[in-house]
Amino acid sequence: MRRAASLIIGAIITALALWLLWVLQTALDMGAGPRLAEQAFAGLPTTGVSNPVTAVLLSYRGYDTLLELGVLLAALLGIWSLGVASPGFQPAGVVLSGMVRLVVPLLVLTGGYLLWVGGYAPGGAFQAGALLGAAGVVMRLAGDETAGLPGIRAQRWLIVAGVAVFVLVGLATLALGQGFLSYPQAWSKWLILAIETAATVAIGTTLAAAYVGGRPWSHAVVGGRD
Amino acid sequence: MDASLALAVSVPLIGGLLATALPKRAQGLGLLASVATVLVVGWVMAGVWQQGSLHAELGGWAAPLGIALAADGLSAALLGMAALVALGVGIYASGYFRSADADRHFWPLWLLLWAALNGLLLAADLFNIYVTLELLGLTAAALGALTGTVDAVRANLRYLLVGLLGSMTYLLGVALVYTSYGTLDLGLLSNALEPGPVAATALVLMTAGLALKAALFPLHFWLPPAHANAPAPVSAALSALVVKAAFYLILRLWLDVFAPVVTPSAAGLMGMLGALAVIWGSWRALRAERLKLLAAYSTVAQIGYLCLFLPLLQALPPGAERDDLFVALVLMALTHGLAKAGLFLAAGLVQRSAGHDRIDDLGGTAQHMPATTFTIALAGTALIGLPPSGSFVGKWILMTSALESGQWWWILVIAIGTLLAAAYVFRVLSRAFNLEPTPRSFVTQARTEVPALLLALTSVAVLGLAADPLWRLLGAGGGA
Repeated sequence: MRRAASLIIGAIITALALWLLWVLQTALDMGAGPRLAEQAFAGLPTTGVSNPVTAVLLSYRGYDTLLELGVLLAALLGIWSLGVASPGFQPAGVVLSGMVRLVVPLLVLTGGYLLWVGGYAPGGAFQAGALLGAAGVVMRLAGDETAGLPGIRAQRWLIVAGVAVFVLVGLATLALGQGFLSYPQAWSKWLILAIETAATVAIGTTLAAAYVGGRPWSHAVVGGRD
Repeated sequence: MDASLALAVSVPLIGGLLATALPKRAQGLGLLASVATVLVVGWVMAGVWQQGSLHAELGGWAAPLGIALAADGLSAALLGMAALVALGVGIYASGYFRSADADRHFWPLWLLLWAALNGLLLAADLFNIYVTLELLGLTAAALGALTGTVDAVRANLRYLLVGLLGSMTYLLGVALVYTSYGTLDLGLLSNALEPGPVAATALVLMTAGLALKAALFPLHFWLPPAHANAPAPVSAALSALVVKAAFYLILRLWLDVFAPVVTPSAAGLMGMLGALAVIWGSWRALRAERLKLLAAYSTVAQIGYLCLFLPLLQALPPGAERDDLFVALVLMALTHGLAKAGLFLAAGLVQRSAGHDRIDDLGGTAQHMPATTFTIALAGTALIGLPPSGSFVGKWILMTSALESGQWWWILVIAIGTLLAAAYVFRVLSRAFNLEPTPRSFVTQARTEVPALLLALTSVAVLGLAADPLWRLLGAGGGA
C-alpha cells in the first residue's frame, strides 16, 4: 500500500517536473532577449559603481536589499526569542587554536577586501559579511562562548546597523526631495560604500550570533516566559 | 513621487530597529511607532481618496529596472484595516504580556511584521512581493512561537516550513514570468501578458504558493494549531492580517495582473475550493472544544467566503454591478479582519482569566467579564453576517449577484455556512448566561478589553452602517 502510494506520488512529481521543463523551454523561446541586462549596463555609469551586481543590489533594486537585511534581522530575533544559548564548546587543542589565531585575522582582512572590491568586481556586503560570520563560527568551534562577539548591548546595535543606515539614507534622500533611496549622483559611490560597510558588520554579527544559537548569557538573568 | 508610500514601510521598520536596540524601552517606542504608522497610513489613504491612486519610484529608477510602490483603493482599504487592527493589538499587547522578557521579544518582531505587511500591500513588483512575503512569514512564525510551549513551537515551525514552501512555489512562478516577459513590474506585466501555457503555469504556481499561505482549503492544515497556540495579540494579527495579505495577492493577480489569463473554469475551481472551505471550516469550528481553535477554524471558513466572489466577478462584465460586487468582497475582508481580531483578543482575555479556553467550562468566567463577552457577541454578529455588520451587506450583494448570474448553487453554500456560523457563535454565547452573580462594572481591564471591543464594534457598526466611503475609495481606484 505504502509502496503504491509512493510510486503514485513519484509519478505525479515526475510529470509535474517534465511539464515545468517544457514550460520553461516555451518561456525561453518567447524570446524576451537579454531582458533587463542591457538597461542595467546602460545605467551603470550613473550609479557610482562599475560592478553590475552591486548596482542591482544597492542602486536599481536597493529597496529589495533593504528588506532582505530586515529578513536576516528577523531571523536572528526569532532565534533569540526561543531561549538562551547553550554554553560553548570545550577549549580547543593547541593545533586548532593555533590555526584559529591564524585564520580569523585573515578572514577579517579578506572580508574588508571583498567589501571594498565590490564596487568594481565580484564582492560586496553579503560576501564580506559571510566571511566575518565564518570567523565567528570558527572562534565558537574553538571554544569561545561568545563567538568573538561583543556584549549583548553592543550586539543589538550591530545587528540593526545595516537596515538602520540603509533606511536613514533613504529617508535623507527623501527629505532632500530626491525620492526614497535616490542617491545624488556625486554622492552615490560613498553612500553605497557607507551602506555596504554597515551591512557587512550587521550580516557578520547576525550570522555569528545565529550560529551561537540563542540569546547570549548576560541577558538570561531576566528569565521567565509568558 | 509620493513620500507617504515609502514612509508607510520605513516608519514601522525604524520602530522595530529602535525596539531591538533599546529593549528596556521597547514598549514605549513600540507604541510611539504604532501611532506614527497609523498617521502615515492615514496620509496614504487621504492621498488615494483624493487622487485615486498613488505611485512612487524608488531609487530614482523607472519601472522595468527599478522598483515601484503603488497604492489604489484596494490596497488603501486593507492598509487602513491593518493599521486599525495593529494599533488595537499594540495597545492590547502592552497590557497582555506578564513577563518583561516576552514583551521585549514581541515589539521588534511585531513592528517588522507591520513593516512587511505595509510593504506587501504597497508593492508593485513581483520579486519585491516575494521579499515582503519572506519577512512577513518569518516574523509571523517567530511571534507565534512566543508562548514558548512545545505545542506552539511545533505548530509554528510547521507554519514556517509551509510558508517557505509557499514562497518558493510563488518564486517559481515569478521566475517563469521574468523569463518570458523580461519585467517584474505589475503595471507593465498586466499590459504585456498573453494567455498561453507559460502565463497559465505561472499563475497556477503563484496561486498555489499563496493559497498555502492564505490557508485556502485543502491547504489550511497548518493554520488551526499555529493560530490557536500563539499568544492572543499574535493570533489576532495572524488571523486578521497575515492570512488576508496572501489572499490580497491572489486577488491582485487574478483580477488585475493576470486578468486576461483567467478562465471561467479556473475561477469556478477557486469558488469550489472556497465553498468547501466555508462548509468544512464552519463545521470544524462548531465541533472545536477550545475557543481559540474555534476562532482559527472560522478563519478557514471566512477565507472561503472571499473565494466565492471570484467566479461571480469573472462572470460579470465591467460595470456598476461588478464594482458593487468587488466592494462587497473588500467589505467582507475588512469586516472579518476587524471581527476576528476582536474575537481573538477577547478569547485571550477569557483564557487568561479562566486559565483555559475550553468552551464547555467557560460559563462563569465569561459572565465576570461583561465587556469581553459583549466583544465576542459583536464579533460573532459580524462572523454570522447579521445586520448591521459589514459582512451582512457583503453577503447580501454576493447572494444577489449569484442569483442574477444564474450561479444559484453558491447561495446554498452561503446559507449552510451562515447557519453553522450562527450555531458556533451561539454555542459560545449561551455559556455566558448562567446564573452567576453579575459584576458591577462593565469593563474590568480597560487596556486590554477596550481595544478588542472597539475592533469588534467597528466591524459591526462602522463598516455596516457607514460603508459608503468604501465605494468611493475603491471606485476612485478603478476597482480593479
